[in-house]
Amino acid sequence: MRDSERRVWSFADIGVRLVILSLAAMLIMALQLTGRLEVVQNAVAIITSPAQLSVTGLTDSVSSAVNSVREFRNLQQRNAELERINGSLLVENLRLREVERENQRLRELLAFAEVRPGLELRGGQIIARVIGQDSNNYLNFIMLDLGRRHGIRVGMPVVTDQGLVGRVSEVTETTSKVLLITDPTSTVNAILQSSRLTGAVGGRPGEDPIMDFIPQGAQFSVGEIVLTSGLGGNFPKGIPIGQVVEIRQRDFEIFQQAVIRPTVDFDRLELVMVVTSFDPLEFVPELDNPPVPPSGEPASETAPAGDQSEAPTETQ
Amino acid sequence: MSRSLFVYVMIPFLGFLAVIQTVVGPRLSILNVRPDLILVFVIAWTLVYGPRQGLVLAFIGGLWMDIFSGGPMGGSSLALMIAAVIAGVGHQALFRSNLIVPTLVGVAGTLGYAAAYLAVLAAIGHDLPWQNTVERLVLPEVLYNGALMLILTPLLNRIPEPREVG
Repeated sequence: MRDSERRVWSFADIGVRLVILSLAAMLIMALQLTGRLEVVQNAVAIITSPAQLSVTGLTDSVSSAVNSVREFRNLQQRNAELERINGSLLVENLRLREVERENQRLRELLAFAEVRPGLELRGGQIIARVIGQDSNNYLNFIMLDLGRRHGIRVGMPVVTDQGLVGRVSEVTETTSKVLLITDPTSTVNAILQSSRLTGAVGGRPGEDPIMDFIPQGAQFSVGEIVLTSGLGGNFPKGIPIGQVVEIRQRDFEIFQQAVIRPTVDFDRLELVMVVTSFDPLEFVPELDNPPVPPSGEPASETAPAGDQSEAPTETQ
Repeated sequence: MSRSLFVYVMIPFLGFLAVIQTVVGPRLSILNVRPDLILVFVIAWTLVYGPRQGLVLAFIGGLWMDIFSGGPMGGSSLALMIAAVIAGVGHQALFRSNLIVPTLVGVAGTLGYAAAYLAVLAAIGHDLPWQNTVERLVLPEVLYNGALMLILTPLLNRIPEPREVG
């Protein structure tokens, strides 16, 4: 172990460099926020999405291989015949198993659309592969391998057979980004399936989402299913969001809250369905009818004014 | 390594690291926090080679991070540059061979990065609840990156004494 030598740079030198690079970063930020960086973003997406897809495939294969090796060891103890399986067959088996899993997921997604004609999903969905999650811990986005040239548009809802994932927030020619419902800036108008109470589900940093604006005094129970209400026109009605796992009720507050465990496992998203036939309304207040407290007093300021966060950051 | 070669090598390398971070990172998450590979790399590099190179790395790495993020382009660059400046203090004034120094620099750099990035998000209207964010994301992230730096320290000490080229 050695001590570092004293460097010969000066603070002025570092300061100048810091200022120049900071200004460059802010310039780039301004260009992106005003939509002038789209060409560059498209070009980069075209280059990087195959790399992401490859690494995703490789990672899946490695995971499958690790799982299969564990499984193989157990089976080996029980069945001597498996010992004679040679390496090439094992590799082939792994590949086929991955294909089968993917087929199964595709069948489930198609079945989800078939049995929900009321959601306007039939004939209007595109199945996309998740190629990456947000590089940042503070934001909850995923990246899909399909973009504008495949018919994806900003604002389109994204679902799986398990329920609601989020909505498309940014689109390039070949990729798109989806704001997940777990992001703190996401708000989805929701309804409790049994009690028919409405509210708004919002994400929280590092925690399960919470359904807010449930009128005080209204009765509902843990375990109730939460669905999209369709209010506001941002999402189709009736898509599962999650299940109530905790009720937060305090007498001095106007509304109750419910902690929601999402039906979708966001850590294991591989394939999702982008609902292309649904035409989302933009800049419409999420709650058309703000909930009225039991006392009969009008609920006004506390109801969510509008879903600014989910208003798409159009980059097209 | 000349300055231009340094940049040409680091651009694709940081891009590769960003892809790994978005694809493999979620599988390595602990307490809902994914490892910040680029942040740790920038801090480690700055600790060894100084803030001149560290700032350039931070700028390039931040752009790569933002390409794979829903956040504003350039935001991660600004935040990473803050982390690089903090790490530069560790490079200049302290013994990098000390086990505590890289860990402390990792912790301080992550805090600086988090504060700067959250400020950028707030500035563009992407407000996060501060208390929840600090408790649920920033502190676990600080611990995660501090631990990574602790693990990296023996490797850092194997790196030969550098010559500043920036």
